[in-house]
Amino acid sequence: MVDITHYLVLSTIVFSIGVVGVLTRRNVIIILMSIELMLNSVNLNLVAFSDQLQDPSGQVFAIFVITVAAAEAAVGLGIIIALFRNKETVNVDEIDLMRG
Amino acid sequence: MDINYTAILPEIMLSLVGICIMLLIPFVPRERQTHLGYLALAGIVLAFFGVAMGWGQTDLAFSEMIFQDDFGQFSKIFFLFVSTVILLISMNYLEQEKLFQGEFFVLLLFATVGMLFMATSADLIMTFLGLEVLSISTYILAGFKERERKSSEAAWKYFLLGAFSTAFLLYGIAFVYGATGSTKYLQIAEAIQASPDYSLILFVGLGLMMVGFGFKVALAPFHAWTPDVYEGAPIPITALLAVASKGAALLALVRILYQVFPDLSQQWQAILWPMAVMTMAIGNIAALTQSNIKRMLAYSSIAHAGYLLVGLTAHNPLATQGILFYLVAYAFMTLGALIVVQIVGRREEQHTTIEDYNGIGYRYPFLGIALSVFLISLAGIPATAGFMGKLFVFSAAVQSQMYGLVVIALVTSAIGLYYYLRVIVSMYMGEFKTEKIPITISMPLRIILTLLVLGTLYLGILPGSLLNLAEEAASF
Amino acid sequence: MFGTELQLTLLLLIPGFGALVIAFVPSRKIHLLRGTSLFFTSLTFLYSLLFFTHFDPGAETMQFVQKVPWLNVGVLHIHYHVGMDGISLFLVILTTFLMPLTILASWGIEKKVRPYMFFMLLLEVGMIGVFVSLDLILFYIFWEITLIPMYFLIGVWGGKRRVYAAVKFFIYTMAGSLLMLAAILTLYFFNEAQNFDLVEITQRLSLNQIILPFPVELLLFLAFFLAFAVKVPIFPFHTWLPDAHVEAPTAASVILAGVMLKMGTYGLLRFCLPMFPSASAALAPAISLLAIVGIIYGALVALVQTDVKKLVAYSSVSHMGFVVLGIFAFNLQSIEGATFQMLSHGLSTGALFLLVGMLYDRRHTHLIQDFGGLAHVMPRLAAFFMFIMLSSIGLPGLNGFVGEFLILQGTFLEHAGRAAFAASGIVLSAIYMLWVYQRVFMGAVQNDQNRTLTDLNFRETVILVPIVLLVVWMGLHPSTFLRRMDTSVQKVVDRIEQVREPQIYRVEYRGH
Repeated sequence: MVDITHYLVLSTIVFSIGVVGVLTRRNVIIILMSIELMLNSVNLNLVAFSDQLQDPSGQVFAIFVITVAAAEAAVGLGIIIALFRNKETVNVDEIDLMRG
Repeated sequence: MDINYTAILPEIMLSLVGICIMLLIPFVPRERQTHLGYLALAGIVLAFFGVAMGWGQTDLAFSEMIFQDDFGQFSKIFFLFVSTVILLISMNYLEQEKLFQGEFFVLLLFATVGMLFMATSADLIMTFLGLEVLSISTYILAGFKERERKSSEAAWKYFLLGAFSTAFLLYGIAFVYGATGSTKYLQIAEAIQASPDYSLILFVGLGLMMVGFGFKVALAPFHAWTPDVYEGAPIPITALLAVASKGAALLALVRILYQVFPDLSQQWQAILWPMAVMTMAIGNIAALTQSNIKRMLAYSSIAHAGYLLVGLTAHNPLATQGILFYLVAYAFMTLGALIVVQIVGRREEQHTTIEDYNGIGYRYPFLGIALSVFLISLAGIPATAGFMGKLFVFSAAVQSQMYGLVVIALVTSAIGLYYYLRVIVSMYMGEFKTEKIPITISMPLRIILTLLVLGTLYLGILPGSLLNLAEEAASF
Repeated sequence: MFGTELQLTLLLLIPGFGALVIAFVPSRKIHLLRGTSLFFTSLTFLYSLLFFTHFDPGAETMQFVQKVPWLNVGVLHIHYHVGMDGISLFLVILTTFLMPLTILASWGIEKKVRPYMFFMLLLEVGMIGVFVSLDLILFYIFWEITLIPMYFLIGVWGGKRRVYAAVKFFIYTMAGSLLMLAAILTLYFFNEAQNFDLVEITQRLSLNQIILPFPVELLLFLAFFLAFAVKVPIFPFHTWLPDAHVEAPTAASVILAGVMLKMGTYGLLRFCLPMFPSASAALAPAISLLAIVGIIYGALVALVQTDVKKLVAYSSVSHMGFVVLGIFAFNLQSIEGATFQMLSHGLSTGALFLLVGMLYDRRHTHLIQDFGGLAHVMPRLAAFFMFIMLSSIGLPGLNGFVGEFLILQGTFLEHAGRAAFAASGIVLSAIYMLWVYQRVFMGAVQNDQNRTLTDLNFRETVILVPIVLLVVWMGLHPSTFLRRMDTSVQKVVDRIEQVREPQIYRVEYRGH
């Protein structure tokens, strides 16, 4: 029997992978993907809870999250392109004009 | 389904006008696109009427998704006011920087919609949507000067940390949903009240949500993005982020903590207390060494978020009132200071170091007096709005017997005096250097600045009227 | 207007209105600006004399009171509450008296006259406000407001290290007073009536309607005390004072020494003692010790100064030590002496700064070694200096004597040892004052630049003569002043006696 705990553990693992990815990776595209990973673990959680509670609003929420994540990714990629035009790099360590 | 359009009338109007502008953009010649700003202004005016139509009504509209209450109306008026000011200064800014793009106004209107939704939402889904509408618009706006590396960098950093924090917030929301079985504010509150043995999942959820909001409000230790983003973004957008975006997240947090989790106040107070101390200390101490005034104001905004947090931690009716008052006061002085920074910065924001202010006070007395009033108010010296705000917020904390927190807040504001004074020192006691490009102040900016100065002083001397409004708004 | 509720508010409004007028005078019309400020400050002074003549010495309560609600929101109730008693009456008059003289002494200011005069008038509003406000928040607001004009006066019109001195002054005094705000708020929530009204809070405290546990009282006392101690300044919080005084323009020095330092001792007398008598009594030995250290330290440091202005600044530290000592001896003589000493110190030190400023206008130096034998060149200035110096030393028949004598007498009754140590300060003050007089004014003229100096002109004489007259009056007929303080001071003393062991030596003292 797969109960709620399994889903939670899985989502926690996926979320943690996402967090570690954002914090350690240097390539902006991979960072963007890590954020997607975090959002997907949220969806997993929401759907699992929704199933357990027999309440549809969790699934509705998940659909909203997917939609917004798509919009966010689009904007993120747009910003990366603008950045790449100005700087010609996808390495976050070189995005360092402002310090202090 | 109880559909009550008056509850979201302002949002509808802003969105419609935004869409209209978007459709008009292809038909307007590039160099005249800044004129679309007037259309956006009309949209905001319509939204004000929208608020007026729903004035005084209370309702829980759209299947308990939207609150229509005094707190919401107060917040709406506040955000619409801030957006008006930002719209007016950005029209000037776009003209000056030759950024002829009408999309700016569309995004500004959509960002405003997001703020309004955050302040009135009665459901975590709605809060999330409002937050995202606000955030996505501001990610783009922060990088609006696409040819400038600083601006793109600011957009990237803001986007990265914004998206990162949203994920935390959502993860927290998912846990809260799992623990209480609902995403609606009132039902969550009921569920918590009904079962006093709180599950671990609930605490984890609350903690993660606070992390998410911590990023948005720029509370230490989640503040690291603030200085870079504020420095790199175009000045009107810095103002938007510092005042409106921060304010929206804070008001949403007020509602969530006071209305959804009042029974867990001991737990969240234990989290907020150290956060408030760190935020005030880091903001004020880091601001001491800044040489760029935009960056200094960024740290100062972190410090002020800390003072607001002192009020939030206090958790009593006076605190809510104090927070609302402080937010308005903070908006007046920060907007004002940033407008002066924009004027002195001139084309391409070339003059933003504190040395650039040397002798400005005599060469341009109007700017000198205005900036002095704003800085004195930010420093919290009496007869200004900033002092009254601090007075109310701190007395709320004293009322809740948080003496330690108040003493720390006062000590850190004493540190804060130094960097605010530094700018006044260079304005009035520094030597004026001959300038290549003279400073020009356009008429609309002059009027806005005058009004903001008068407002700052008025709220400092006769805070009663606003405070009465805030008192009504503070009763959820 | 006089006799109505607004009478005291009007006293604040006259200089305030003056500041407003100044803001609209064209900045190039220097004479008009000076004239306007002189007019408004003189008007304020003449108006304030009405309070002196209408003052009822026997009244137990505050006089000329006006109280209107200012903020009534939720649990916060702040009032606009002003009034006067025998202690504040004279401090207000001292302020209004010194202001026109300092404006006259500011004729040398030729750049940026408009903001200068504007800040002077704003400063006057703030200072009067401090002395008349009876609501804690109102008091705090005026207290802080005085900092801004003074900060600009030092920072813009001061000497070479003006920016450093101005910022130091501002940060020290502001940081000192922030904890006072915390204490005010705390006190507020201990007060079930929930207001900031000083009169009411004091009354409720004395009737035990507000009960402050002793540790709380001690902490509140310390928070208030710190704010006032920085301002007075009590040793070891005095380090901002010499810098501020040396760099400040003459008028700012006069106001700083003449009025603003008194705000500190006034605060001790008005807030610390009546509100926290047990804490005051408990800490009195320690504070008296600091005061005595200040008296002797200030005098010794003054002795070795090479800069006349710095010497006068350190002599202030010493003299203000007497005032604090008198306040914390808790009897009628000592406190009345302290109040009297505040006035006479305001006059004589103010006058000394004026004289030093007049020297500086001529020679552009404060260094003692640059002078010498000036009595031959400027007999009138030398005479005035001698006279004021004698008053400052405490020559019987002049004002300084009365205050110091009463303080020492009162302190002696309380604690003979303290009085003995403090008395050595008087001896030292005679030494440093006479010595500096000798080096500056006596002997032959050494420096050629000093031979051609002109003596006091008419304007400068006009500034000094009223001070001299008042010095003599205060010295010969102190009861004019003491009589009006009696009731108010007795109230403070009674309040302390309420919590203290009965004293064996209680000598009934009747005026003069």
